[in-house]
Amino acid sequence: MAQVMMKELNKKYDEVHAVKDVNLHVRDKEFVVLVGPSGCGKSTTLRMVAGLEEITAGEITIGDRVVNDLPPKDRDIAMVFQNYALYPHMTVYDNMAFGLKMRKFPKPEIAKRVQEAAEILGIQELLKRKPRQLSGGQRQRVAVGRAIVRHPQVFLFDEPLSNLDAKLRVQMRVELKRLHDRLETTAIYVTHDQVEAMTLGDRVVVMKDGWIQQVGEPLELYSKPANRFVAGFIGSPAMNFMDVSVAEANGALWAETPGLRVKAPASIAGRLGAYKGQRVTLGIRPEDLHVATGSDSADYCVEAVVEVVEPLGSEILLDVKVAQSVIVARVDPTVRAKLHDKLRLALLPEQLRFFDNKTELAI
Amino acid sequence: MAAARSAGRTRDIRLAYLLLAPTLLLLLTTLAYPIGWEIWTSFTDLSPLKDGSAEFVGLTNYGRLLGDPEFWRAALVTVVYAIITSVAKLALGLGFALLLARPFRGRALVFLAIFIPWAYPAGVSVIGWYWTLSPPTTTAYAPAMGHLKHLVDGTLGTGAWAFTSIILFNIWRGSSFIGVLLLAGINAIPPELFECALLESKSRWRRFRLVTVPLLRPFLALAVFLSLTGAFADLANVWMLTAGRIVFPVIGTHAYFLAVKAGQYGPASALALTLVPFLLTILLVLFRLFDPPRREAT
Repeated sequence: MAQVMMKELNKKYDEVHAVKDVNLHVRDKEFVVLVGPSGCGKSTTLRMVAGLEEITAGEITIGDRVVNDLPPKDRDIAMVFQNYALYPHMTVYDNMAFGLKMRKFPKPEIAKRVQEAAEILGIQELLKRKPRQLSGGQRQRVAVGRAIVRHPQVFLFDEPLSNLDAKLRVQMRVELKRLHDRLETTAIYVTHDQVEAMTLGDRVVVMKDGWIQQVGEPLELYSKPANRFVAGFIGSPAMNFMDVSVAEANGALWAETPGLRVKAPASIAGRLGAYKGQRVTLGIRPEDLHVATGSDSADYCVEAVVEVVEPLGSEILLDVKVAQSVIVARVDPTVRAKLHDKLRLALLPEQLRFFDNKTELAI
Repeated sequence: MAAARSAGRTRDIRLAYLLLAPTLLLLLTTLAYPIGWEIWTSFTDLSPLKDGSAEFVGLTNYGRLLGDPEFWRAALVTVVYAIITSVAKLALGLGFALLLARPFRGRALVFLAIFIPWAYPAGVSVIGWYWTLSPPTTTAYAPAMGHLKHLVDGTLGTGAWAFTSIILFNIWRGSSFIGVLLLAGINAIPPELFECALLESKSRWRRFRLVTVPLLRPFLALAVFLSLTGAFADLANVWMLTAGRIVFPVIGTHAYFLAVKAGQYGPASALALTLVPFLLTILLVLFRLFDPPRREAT
């Protein structure tokens, strides 16, 4: 078990600067998820930790050793690949034993470890099969088993669930979480799926264009996004954004655009004051909108026209037109809204977020 | 229901045969008929030099072959030729493929250099090789090549240098092809399988032996198959490089000589047919490696 430190980590290909000044401290026993859209540099970062990509600049430390110049084999890591990377010519047992065999472990020790891992993953009956005789989920377990038997200091996961169907993915997600609770091995996990990131990570690192956007615990990213990108990336359906101008009236600040006038809550007024007369981005999550009742203050209400109704059972998603934008509201399943209905929606004042239009940073 | 389905099935099968008919006709006329004719001829004394019709002579042609030292010599030369060229082509081709599988500066140029021998027309290449190995006397290195020829012919017998040049030409051209074939094979293997091995071992040799070779097995088998069968049935390379002045005949050239130069169709057919069991054996042995059995005991 070990911590992993990345200092000023950079990766440049001929024309692409894939990873830019990444600083990250993965603590001992921690499960850290790197998440971001494709091309954000998350996989490249992981592969630099593994030693599969050369480091252009910066430093990676695993435990207390700088590993920049160590070959992958000596970094004491085990990696699980998206396509499982199982050897088609070997049985499940041989696949799981592969790393230990290459490292010349004694046979009884290999057998013991493979048995142990197979039990943990519930794949004892599959040991004599070849990978092509397994289902996707079973292959995934074998790939994880191959990593477990090595007892590495750090697990590296590169989108391990992306090739599974949706139902299996949810199931394996839970199993991976349990596995981590049990083994307590430091893990770095790469995914493009924010739900996977939120459910698995002790901490989540959001990346975009090679830069780290924000590092934080899942709920912290959700409630306090550092910038517009994180706000839009974390949460599903995504946060709604509207272009508004900041105006002062009656001793308060207001976010305005034709068809919309919302009062800025006192908690943010201090910071928003600097933007008086300028345009900013107003953000509100679908779940922070509801159909207005008499008790909602008129200062936080907007008129909306229903454009799409998505009844999901436990909730209803309404695509509504507010001012000039179409936004999504997640409302109670008892709401009986029809196409083209006019609704009055109320916003939760404390959940309003404001972003600088130029820097996109949270205000 | 069942009757209707079976009627539909019959119709499908009929249609399938109808669609296959042109191919079958082509195969029958271009493959089955000549082979059948050759087998028949091998049992006769058919010859353009003989008056009257061909007579059935049974196994006489085969019997004569077995007692003919020329046949045994040609067979030995063919086996030596096939083995030397196949081993060398496989080693070189694999080396080329491994070299080209990794990106490096100037890779495109190296790829071209390696692929040109195969892409270039054989006839033109042969002339280049001929002039390189037997340069006109005014060429600066002509004396050196002359010495080499004398040295090789002096040690191994007249014609050895010519035979060596055939082997070299075959290797030069064939390793180019096998290199590209194996490169395609390596590229078809997901890179994670190699990366996974990289995480577990520093030794290139161990990774090569335990991962690369087994993963490439179907491609290696195909390469060996093409190389061996090509060499066993070779006629063109040997004929072109030596302009028919053959001192080291292989089965192919010997059969050609018997049939076209000596007009002995019967013995020539018998001789050519002796290759069939060898080619079939090679095919059957390697077939198991192309596509390993799907169903393992569980």
